[in-house]
Amino acid sequence: MSTKGYYGRMLEVDLTAMSSKVTMIPDEDIKKFIGGRGLGTKILFDRLKPGTDPLSPENILMFMSGPFSGLPIPSSSRTCVVTKSPRTSPLSPQFKSGSTVSYSNMGGFFGPELRFAGYDALLITGKAEKPVYIRIHNDRVTIEDAGEYWGMGTDSFDKTFHREVGEGRWESCYIGPAGENLVPMACIINTAARAAGRGGTGCVMGSKNLKAVVVKGNKMPNIARLENYNDLLEKVRQSFMKKDEGVMSWRYGGTTDALASSSRAGTQAVKNYSEGTFGEIEKIGTEANRKEIWKRDFACYACQLACKKSGYAKGAYNVQVHDSPEYETGTMLGANLLISDLNGLHRLIELADDLGIDIISVGNTTGFLMEAYERGDIDREFLDGIDLTWGNVEATIELMHKISKREGIGEPASKGVKELAGIIGKGSDQYAIHVKGHELAAWNIPVNSDSWAVCYATSNRGACHMNGGNARRQDSACLRDSLGACSFASSWYRGELQYQNFLKAITGLEWSDEEFNRAGERIFNLEKMFNYREGFRREDDFIPEKFFVNKFTFGEHAGAIVDRAKFQENMDSYYEGRGWHKDTSRPTDETLGRLGLSFTI
Amino acid sequence: MSNKISHQGVSRRHFLSSLGFGTAGMVLLGSYGFVIRRDHSTGTVRAIAVNFDECAGCRTCEAVCSAYNHMESVNGRMVNGIGNPALSNIRVYHYNPDIDIPSTCALCNDAPCVEACPVDPDPETGYRALYRDPELLTITNDRERCIGCGSCADACRELRAGIIRSNPEIGNPEHMCTLCGGDPQCVKYCPFDALSYVVMDDDRNLDGLSPRKLAAKMIEKLYNIRVTETQL
Repeated sequence: MSTKGYYGRMLEVDLTAMSSKVTMIPDEDIKKFIGGRGLGTKILFDRLKPGTDPLSPENILMFMSGPFSGLPIPSSSRTCVVTKSPRTSPLSPQFKSGSTVSYSNMGGFFGPELRFAGYDALLITGKAEKPVYIRIHNDRVTIEDAGEYWGMGTDSFDKTFHREVGEGRWESCYIGPAGENLVPMACIINTAARAAGRGGTGCVMGSKNLKAVVVKGNKMPNIARLENYNDLLEKVRQSFMKKDEGVMSWRYGGTTDALASSSRAGTQAVKNYSEGTFGEIEKIGTEANRKEIWKRDFACYACQLACKKSGYAKGAYNVQVHDSPEYETGTMLGANLLISDLNGLHRLIELADDLGIDIISVGNTTGFLMEAYERGDIDREFLDGIDLTWGNVEATIELMHKISKREGIGEPASKGVKELAGIIGKGSDQYAIHVKGHELAAWNIPVNSDSWAVCYATSNRGACHMNGGNARRQDSACLRDSLGACSFASSWYRGELQYQNFLKAITGLEWSDEEFNRAGERIFNLEKMFNYREGFRREDDFIPEKFFVNKFTFGEHAGAIVDRAKFQENMDSYYEGRGWHKDTSRPTDETLGRLGLSFTI
Repeated sequence: MSNKISHQGVSRRHFLSSLGFGTAGMVLLGSYGFVIRRDHSTGTVRAIAVNFDECAGCRTCEAVCSAYNHMESVNGRMVNGIGNPALSNIRVYHYNPDIDIPSTCALCNDAPCVEACPVDPDPETGYRALYRDPELLTITNDRERCIGCGSCADACRELRAGIIRSNPEIGNPEHMCTLCGGDPQCVKYCPFDALSYVVMDDDRNLDGLSPRKLAAKMIEKLYNIRVTETQL
């Protein structure tokens, strides 16, 4: 008998042996690591030998639901993909393949459906001889030939597969050509748009010759205190259904609203992070999209915010828009490349999704190459003849195709800016905007640098904008990602409606606020210990040199720059607050003991 | 109102008592032996109408439908169940190009499902094993007399939206809308006001209710993309 609210069941598929089995999750791990990101990291830590090649059959690709997944708790349907990253590396490698944990979160319906099929988690190891997909219908698990789908873009796959799979409502996630071709920055897509975008999840999936996972089920786990749960659910629904400004603003603009507001605040990645404000942001912002493109708002399972926007973009390119531009995609392929052609931007986003490439990393990498080209650190020959100038949509399209095939310039570019800077030299590492090999996202550092610099430098998957700028926020993010809750809706879960009260009703277990928060801290520390074991040290918790030497020249925040001494000071106090050694960044034995992580020592 | 609609025996008693008290409704005898009560104040049939322009595909309707119609006993009290969407009577189908189509029982005026039922009408009530509940006009199954032949599900799939599905074990029809005893939960909780509980026109068009057909129409309307049903 497992903890209530869970099945305690994991489906493990071995693609080398072409077999599957169900294993049980220890109750103790559920209480300590909750699910999703936390439980995934625990499994990764327990099972992977240090230095395991992330693209080897030994690496585990995990689709983790959380205890909220599949329950109609508003905005709590997220699925966390956990694996060992093919993107990251330490400055001083101890292993040939030392890399961080990778966790990447996607919305939609996949995690809930995995739970309806009777599993809390899906673990995939091994490597199939030929392209396959995994089909899960409750207890019936089969590994099917995916030869006819191999090479398909994610949009075509989504359309074709769901027509052919037959009656009923299957949920799926899949890779595009980039993942098949082992592009390190490949992602996993569902519903032709939603992505487990970051950390090379699609590359790991491709390395297993796995095109897709499809799932359908009709079960639900039991809840311990149903009346209590129903009461909380009713209250949180009513609080969303007031349709206050917060709810209506998510529906109207989604994260796209942040394009304009972040630009005004000087916190946007513009021109490869040289600026924080983009003068032409209105051309790709909410109003322009409402007027020209968007036709409909879409929600994830049981979500009331509906931040995903679909439409149709006409112009030089005719584009069926599945989700764009949201803040990250609009910034990374728009502002960061000085692209303000709305139709062109939609084409780029659609193409990246269709190829299955992480838009944050590909936008960042393209910006880096544009800067290198402008500076003369590389020439047109280096770029296979592509005239990669700022704002150039056609050139960006061409580069993206090459990246997806790892052809010519696409081969080093597919590995991101750290790799490229190593090849180019000439001090280009100063403007290669990554941490631990993972590219920064769309939030620029210098304005609000106290928070953003710490956020990026200390993220356990390499640079990540969702990490949080201090320990408390980071621990909260760990908890949300482990429950399956969406960060966009977190402000509705306060007071009586805070997450731990739902968790208590679902599991029947007691959680003091302190215990609950400690679980978040425990998860973050376990990730840190995974990375430490892989050879990451304090020197790896950096921010790129550009932020200390480049001053913004444009907008209200002209002159903004990061103070080097202040950054180191903030990092020192961060480590102290965490109970980590300042010289190595390793959590102290005392900290690990306090968190029940002595097994990592 | 309590959840009596799903309990066939209760609703039959209720029907008989409503006749006895001579309620305001005018009682019509249908041509197939089942009874429709026409209420002057409400029209013929009230059912769930979908505004396809507003649905965002969140499937909250499925969760609340299931929770209300599949209650659980906690310490002797019946409370809303966990809300397993597989048990829901309303279902949302999603398609690419992006559109979500909520699909639920239309309480069709001519009810081809009831017409397809081969069970002889009960001499006392005039009901086949599938019949219209006299109070809410919902399509109701008499489990005791149902032979599980699946004719009603076939009729619904071939002629209407394919709402009725046979129970995989005993074959009796499931997923007909109960209207939750007159307070449809899907309407009450739809975050996007895409569902409403309204009086249906007597001559409403009941063709083209299949989710695929509706999706093709909506895709053309929204995105100006022409797709055939088979392409979805």
